[in-house]
Amino acid sequence: MADDYIIKTSNLSKSYGPHMALENLNLKVERGATGLLGPNGAGKSTFLKTILGLIQATSGEGTVLGHDIRTDGAAIRSRIGYMPEYEALNPDMDAIYQVRYSGELLGMNPVVAMSRAHDALQYVGLGEQRYRNIGSFSTGMKQATKLACAIIHDPELIIADEPSNGLDSVAREFMITTLQNTVNTGNRSVLMASHLMDDVERVCDNIVLLHKGKLAAQGRIEDLKDIDREIEIHVWGGATKLEESMAKAGLTVRREGRIMRIQHIGEDTTTLILKCAAESGAQIRRMHEYEASLEDLFLVIMENLGYEVKTSEDLLRSPIKARQVDAPKSMGGGSS
Amino acid sequence: MTLEDEAQAPAPSSIELDFQDVSYDADAPVKGQGRMDSAWGSSQGDEVNTAQVAPSKDTTGFIFEQVYQPWNGTLNPRWMRNWAILRHHVAGIFRKGHRPWSIPTRLFLVVVFIASLADVGLTLLSALIGSADLHSVWGVNRDNLYGHVLGFFPRNVLYFPIVAALLVGGVISEDRLHGTSALYFSRPINRFDYVMMKYLSVAIIQAMIVLLTLCLYYFSEIISMGRGWAWIIDTFPQFIAAFIGGTLLIITYTSIGLGLSSVSKGKFFPGIGLIAIVLGTKTLAIIVSQLFDREILYLLSPYDCLAHVGQTIIGTQPTYNQYSWTWSLASLVVMNALSLYVLSSRVSSMEVTRE
Repeated sequence: MADDYIIKTSNLSKSYGPHMALENLNLKVERGATGLLGPNGAGKSTFLKTILGLIQATSGEGTVLGHDIRTDGAAIRSRIGYMPEYEALNPDMDAIYQVRYSGELLGMNPVVAMSRAHDALQYVGLGEQRYRNIGSFSTGMKQATKLACAIIHDPELIIADEPSNGLDSVAREFMITTLQNTVNTGNRSVLMASHLMDDVERVCDNIVLLHKGKLAAQGRIEDLKDIDREIEIHVWGGATKLEESMAKAGLTVRREGRIMRIQHIGEDTTTLILKCAAESGAQIRRMHEYEASLEDLFLVIMENLGYEVKTSEDLLRSPIKARQVDAPKSMGGGSS
Repeated sequence: MTLEDEAQAPAPSSIELDFQDVSYDADAPVKGQGRMDSAWGSSQGDEVNTAQVAPSKDTTGFIFEQVYQPWNGTLNPRWMRNWAILRHHVAGIFRKGHRPWSIPTRLFLVVVFIASLADVGLTLLSALIGSADLHSVWGVNRDNLYGHVLGFFPRNVLYFPIVAALLVGGVISEDRLHGTSALYFSRPINRFDYVMMKYLSVAIIQAMIVLLTLCLYYFSEIISMGRGWAWIIDTFPQFIAAFIGGTLLIITYTSIGLGLSSVSKGKFFPGIGLIAIVLGTKTLAIIVSQLFDREILYLLSPYDCLAHVGQTIIGTQPTYNQYSWTWSLASLVVMNALSLYVLSSRVSSMEVTRE
């Protein structure tokens, strides 16, 4: 259904002189939580500015919540809540007044804005700190205040730019939980740009990955991670024999010392591994499914596949590139 | 024996290795067994299907239920958003909860407001005590109306340029400094509205000092001296001309000040810059005029251009004799145009994602 997409772009390009900041971007972002990933200079900021209607695209089209990004910038910004990465609060104001003002800037009646400011600050855990000067806030509290500013009008889409940047573990946990609640219980959509893959993985179901202004990958995180599904075994004795045996059985094995990763080829992969172990007389001390983290996925796409990949289907068609396993060298692994 | 060799070694026949053989004495041979144990854990007990799990951390003393509150209200149109910006800046002078103007700024505004009412007080005093001499000095006339808004000392040395500098200094530069520009531009506020409302806010606060006190001065004369329609009809054009002169002064100081504020990240540079431009150009022009009898440099001085135009429209004795007042008017237009160009170009480049 077309309505399921909160952001759609078609051949969206933006150039600054000869530099292409965005190049033929074809995106479809579903409702729910989506992570916007990409290295520095990938075009994330340009993309955000373009979908906010703040800069004109050089070519192509796009809609956000059904509004044309070329002509309906103000309508888009009325319906989204933007949480900037950088400082965006007046340190000399009390939190409650800052949040109220952010509501007034959207066109809220001052009395209504004040009431909503109380709700929003309560929601982000600053209920008891509402009348404190923002200058005295910790980084986590400032981030929470920025989130309160973003959600004061109950927007359909919240764009959070590095929401957990610079936070300690407790504040980061709270921010992530808050975003999760906003999506799950508040039924709102979140587009979250972050360098912290763990956070994106916890909050988001989908990712959009940009690289050099192009779309590197988009889709469900689970789907994308499936491309690298492997079984990891720790072998005691007879590792070489086992490796040979598994190779003969048609399994793709990557080995670093006594740790091997075998490409998952079907439901009977584990049975096949055990059979090979029995034949070769090797002991398998540990066996578990190796789940690639989003960070692994990001590195694979960035380093090995680059921006030629357009969708998760392309990724699935591409060969798995060898990577170093994560065991330390002292244990026979390749990493330090 | 290397680790790889160990890996290639045949598997032990039983997982129950005799770890009593492992010696940790100082003279014990280093054969890697101890490290292996650390790495892989003891093989003893592998058969036991139980696991020791670290107890979960207790959480205490934090009662908080996070409930998302939806809102189904309607957002008001553009004029309400613009009103919010205007109200935020102007109301901040009077009470908490809006733009936090500094205490010294607010105190200075109060002092200047009271000082600007000096002629009002003396007019009332002259009426009360019936002193014609006092009234001839302080009462409403062409020169005094001119002096109220455009007199050099003290108003255009100690009052108005400093008021303008204190007000415009941080209005835009602090949005850059604190990143609060993102708060505006991620909302449905365009750059024109942003600049216009900030401009109007600062101009309105200055108008309270310059124009409100002018109005009070004029009306105090009418009330205290019991002036009739004939006097009002006679002097009202002069009052309007003074009002226009004051408006020009506010516009010019605000344009230059906001232009400087837009190129800065703090309030010090724009404030000092505005005072330096107003008083520096004036001083330079005086020196050149006195030394070389050439008044042309007054065209570079915002205050002198304002004074020249003001003298002409109010009808007081001109103090600039070497060129026409239209040159001063043209110079004012150019100054304002340049300042507004800088202001608009700098504001249009203000970022939302990074500043």
